[in-house]
Amino acid sequence: MNAPTTFDGGMIGRPTPRIDGRLKVTGTACYPSDFPLEDTAYAYLVTSAIARGRIKAIHLEEAQQVEGVLDILTYENTKGKVRKVRAFSGGGYTSTTIMPMDSPKVWHDGQIVAVVVAETYEAAREAAHKVHVEYDERKPKPGFDKRRPQPRQISNPLSSSDPQTGDAETAFQHADVKVEAYYTTPTQHHNPIELFTTTCTWSGDQLTIYEPSQFVHGLKNGVAKQLNMNPEKVRVISPFVGGAFGSKAALTPRTAFVALAAKRLNRPVKLVPTRSQSFDVSTYRAETQHLVKLGADRNGRLTSLHHEGWEVSSRPDNYKVAGTETTSLLYACPNIYTKVHIVHADRNTPGFMRSPAEVPYVYALESAMDELATALGMDPVELRRINDTMVNPIDQKPYSSRALMACYDRAAEAFGWSKRNPEPGSMHDGDWLIGWGCATACYPTNVAPAQARVTLAPNGRARVQTAGHDIGTGAYTAIALTAADRLGVPLENVNVELGDSSLPPAPVAGGSNATASICNAVAMACDEIRERLAQGAVHADGQLAGADPGDLRLSQGKLVAPDGKSEPLKEAIMRLGFGPVEAHAKYTPEIASAPVKLMGHKLIEGGISAMTSGSSVKDHVQYAFGAEFVEVRIHKRTREIRVPRIVGAFAAGRIVSPTTARSQLLGGLIWGVASALHEATEIDERVARYVNDDLAEYLIPVCADIKDVEVIFVPEEDHQVNALGIKGLGELGNVGTNAAVANAVYHATGRRIRDLPIRIEDLL
Amino acid sequence: MDTFSPLKAAPLSRRAGTRDTIEVVLNVNGRNHRLAVDPRVTLLDALREHLGLTGSKKGCDQGQCGACTIHVDGRRVLSCLTLVAMVEGKAVTTIEGLAPEEGGLHPMQQAFLDHDAFQCGYCTPGQIMSAVACVREGLATTDDDIREYMSGNLCRCAAYPNIVEAIKQARAEMEEQP
Amino acid sequence: MRPFSYDRAHDLASAIRAASAQVEVQNRAPIQFLAGGTNLLDLMKIDVMRPERLVDINPLEDSLSEIVADGDGLRLGGLARMSTVAHHPDVEKNYPVLSQSLKLAASAQLRNMASLAGNVLQRTRCSYFRDVSWGACNKREPGSGCAAIGGVNRKHAVLGTSPHCIATYPGDFAQALIALDATVEITGPKGERRIPVHELHRLPGDTPHIENTLAAGEIITAFQIPRKAWAKRSLYLKVRDRESYEFAVASAAVALDLADGVVRDVRIALGGVATIPWRAVAAEEVLKGKPLTEDIARSAAEAAFEPARTHGENDFKPELGRNTLVRALLDAAKLEA
Repeated sequence: MNAPTTFDGGMIGRPTPRIDGRLKVTGTACYPSDFPLEDTAYAYLVTSAIARGRIKAIHLEEAQQVEGVLDILTYENTKGKVRKVRAFSGGGYTSTTIMPMDSPKVWHDGQIVAVVVAETYEAAREAAHKVHVEYDERKPKPGFDKRRPQPRQISNPLSSSDPQTGDAETAFQHADVKVEAYYTTPTQHHNPIELFTTTCTWSGDQLTIYEPSQFVHGLKNGVAKQLNMNPEKVRVISPFVGGAFGSKAALTPRTAFVALAAKRLNRPVKLVPTRSQSFDVSTYRAETQHLVKLGADRNGRLTSLHHEGWEVSSRPDNYKVAGTETTSLLYACPNIYTKVHIVHADRNTPGFMRSPAEVPYVYALESAMDELATALGMDPVELRRINDTMVNPIDQKPYSSRALMACYDRAAEAFGWSKRNPEPGSMHDGDWLIGWGCATACYPTNVAPAQARVTLAPNGRARVQTAGHDIGTGAYTAIALTAADRLGVPLENVNVELGDSSLPPAPVAGGSNATASICNAVAMACDEIRERLAQGAVHADGQLAGADPGDLRLSQGKLVAPDGKSEPLKEAIMRLGFGPVEAHAKYTPEIASAPVKLMGHKLIEGGISAMTSGSSVKDHVQYAFGAEFVEVRIHKRTREIRVPRIVGAFAAGRIVSPTTARSQLLGGLIWGVASALHEATEIDERVARYVNDDLAEYLIPVCADIKDVEVIFVPEEDHQVNALGIKGLGELGNVGTNAAVANAVYHATGRRIRDLPIRIEDLL
Repeated sequence: MDTFSPLKAAPLSRRAGTRDTIEVVLNVNGRNHRLAVDPRVTLLDALREHLGLTGSKKGCDQGQCGACTIHVDGRRVLSCLTLVAMVEGKAVTTIEGLAPEEGGLHPMQQAFLDHDAFQCGYCTPGQIMSAVACVREGLATTDDDIREYMSGNLCRCAAYPNIVEAIKQARAEMEEQP
Repeated sequence: MRPFSYDRAHDLASAIRAASAQVEVQNRAPIQFLAGGTNLLDLMKIDVMRPERLVDINPLEDSLSEIVADGDGLRLGGLARMSTVAHHPDVEKNYPVLSQSLKLAASAQLRNMASLAGNVLQRTRCSYFRDVSWGACNKREPGSGCAAIGGVNRKHAVLGTSPHCIATYPGDFAQALIALDATVEITGPKGERRIPVHELHRLPGDTPHIENTLAAGEIITAFQIPRKAWAKRSLYLKVRDRESYEFAVASAAVALDLADGVVRDVRIALGGVATIPWRAVAAEEVLKGKPLTEDIARSAAEAAFEPARTHGENDFKPELGRNTLVRALLDAAKLEA
């Protein structure tokens, strides 16, 4: 393992404006649908109006008569043209194994049934509205049955087993204090503001895809497999992504159809689906149900933890998030039972949505913990302290680091928690009831193989190339800071190129792994450059002749020895030959399993991330932690629920780019509020169709909903997680926040609402 | 980064086969453009697909997100719900035309940069156009007013607290140099 | 969006002439006036409205957007933009319910675009109406049924519904106008006429596709608001899930004429809960001549929602509507006249 060596320059951890910020504030950042291509034709989707059944007939006559219509794809002319590829969640590429337009079969509402292509967007849209589809409709199953618990259904035999230890049932029976309740979370959609656009253009047998992506290498290889092409003939360009949150990670069905349409017309084809279609074109967070039973002794020590979850998936796919992997290791407890069930329905296959497992599962556990604190008459922070653990209670593996209680202490102090009157309904301000609540945030520190190419020119300019992604996370900036730090050059000298599958492969921007994975690869490449320059310098006839190459560092544009002797970068580079010095590093996570260590780079080159989860490391567990406190205000008459104040404290290892990290945590906390109070995709149960499929009816917070939000970084050093000591945090901020809000609602009103979102009608 | 600065807009081929084409002279960022388009073309699509001005973004195309916010005769409006024909004879300003000089930044752009008032950046041009108008309208007086009068611009990354801070910074500068 | 021809109107008479010959009116009228476009163009994009010709009346803005405030009252041109009226100092000071109802609606951008006339005529947000892939919508396709009954109907109406339609009227400003006894000035092929604003909208009954009493070619040219004793003691309370940029879950426009704590006269109009801007006459009657106490306000609210009919997900609305009205009345009583 080429562990990066010394740190220098102090660039890692330095607050700085985003290096791509100027492009973003001037409107010149090029998102995939912004690339102008000559002679573009426009595609418009026709999507299914039923959730289950078959297409009896598609009438195209009226659509074909629209002036400017060039082509219409339906199953009749695309059947067999797209090959079936394994799903992302099963180690493949696609968001679903459902194959739209491969047969008349309809699996879910909003499934693509035709793609109209025309000279103009206006003509394509008109013609799409004139495509008439006749269906043979069957009664669909919309999701969960109304009754609880759900009937036991198939669990995915491929997934890891349900964590269990001791005898939870017996311990629960004998517990001094117990709580037992069902909790539910609703269907949610990512709704990035950028739509799910795709533009494809062919040059001979070379396909270029402009599509916002969290995984350009996955997209490239997946489409190549679907279209039976050599992956080297496919290029994906996605330098900027207008929000993703998991929705742009896996390959969705639309891409191949746009590629096919472009091939048939031999010209670029651009698809910009509507907002409404975006509820079905990609994935979603499926609704979940939970049964949580907690038993404790009179001192608050957990004696039994039972967490059973039910999740909805599509008919053919066993997608599940199985957050019990996290909820089973959060607190010390000798007896733990967990189980996860999948309920199949006539729905699209769900997928990752920001903190996929933790948002619903930690919500259930952290709500139950608050209920237990109430039952014990104990402060909820103290209950967490009593049950804090430095080992995974299932198998006793130690945490590499865990600063949960430090986070609680810092956040509680900043929030003023000590001034809380624990009596529900006791605090108010005029006509507004006030409630204070808290909850734990946690997220596994995942790391994946990644590659980076770094070039350092004699003029001190550096170029970093890696097929990573900046989906708003600040990746450009974090990567540049790392390179500037390791190469000893100013930040403005570093050029970063991302989001292009012709660059060295990097993992999916998901699971909060990207900064850890990519920055370690970048640091390795920089270190290799330093090593080569040092070797050259010590063996040449200069200032540094005879020095120990391991002692030399790159700093302030020079190669420097500990005794202060140095030589300019230019001299050191020119010695190695003409032009810049270049290194291509392949970083393999220290925590990776033996097979990943052996095969990881083969996999990533083939578009498979090979990520190692922080909960499945061989000899320890690695997680980032946080503590979140919220204030809710509820009007005593009309019951609007507002959240004027949020404080979150987080310990997430080394913070590479504090400015962008803070923004991510800030955004995460607000996501958590939305998850508790606003977001829910409504399903018409009679027909298994989404109803509120736009941004006026699917609510996300607006500026007026958010007031004071404070993010506190709790310093943490952890070199077990990876050489640079980075824990991801993109998904940390919005874990537990929904529970903190629900707990605060209880404190304000004395009413425990267990079904999200919490709305006016729940409190009337 | 410079590999991804915007490409030069490709010349648009005259599109054959559309009916009822109307001729419109569109004044955008001080320049006149003569367009012959389908009357159904919205100002947003005209900017993005016909003039190569892709700074204005399509996030919903139905007036629910604010990403397409531009100025028409100095007023902030949604270009997705404006037909191109409706703005003939009016002055359209987009994010590309906001900075007072080529290569410079408007105080609002600088403030968004300084306060990290965005993440993915997709809603940002709309946020900035809206924020500039909000200050000019005299509505950015208190934090609560800024929040209320900026609520027509959704930010899914939820950079709202930073957006409010940015607007306060820019407001001070804009008031000094009206 | 279907193809259409686009014309600009350069005078009121020619605009009216252009649209007066058509037989079908309102939703299905092949000729539509284009003002702010915020509702019409949206509905055209999603194929709900399919006009063949748009008559752009924005060139008439100079003559149709005047705001005149004098001792008799207030006259607002039909093409005045929502934002202009909302922030007009006279409106803010003397007719707070009008200003508030506008400021609490839509977003700053939409308010800069949308005209007052277009605003009061805005179409429902019922998802089944707005998505043509749903077969059953009597408002969109007369006789096809109502998918909202038995469907997702949390935001649907509980007052003024019929077995054919439960779609909520989504606006705010019309309620404020009703609370101030405003009249609407209409010019059409047969000349000018005036009606009270509360006679502009039609209950769905068995013709939910006909939403108002305008005839083909008629244009709302102005709103006339009398300056009565209650105008200053008026407010608009809008209750919703998020703080801004959302249609009302429930709202109340109230205007109070109080003397020594006793209600001399009152106007109440409700939003978010009814199929039309809903004047709550029964509630007004309960209040008249009574001291405005919490108990009386509560009785008035009971009376307002006595005829409510709920449909499952919106079972909570009568209670929320009552609480909203009580809060609005008690808040209004605290205002200076």
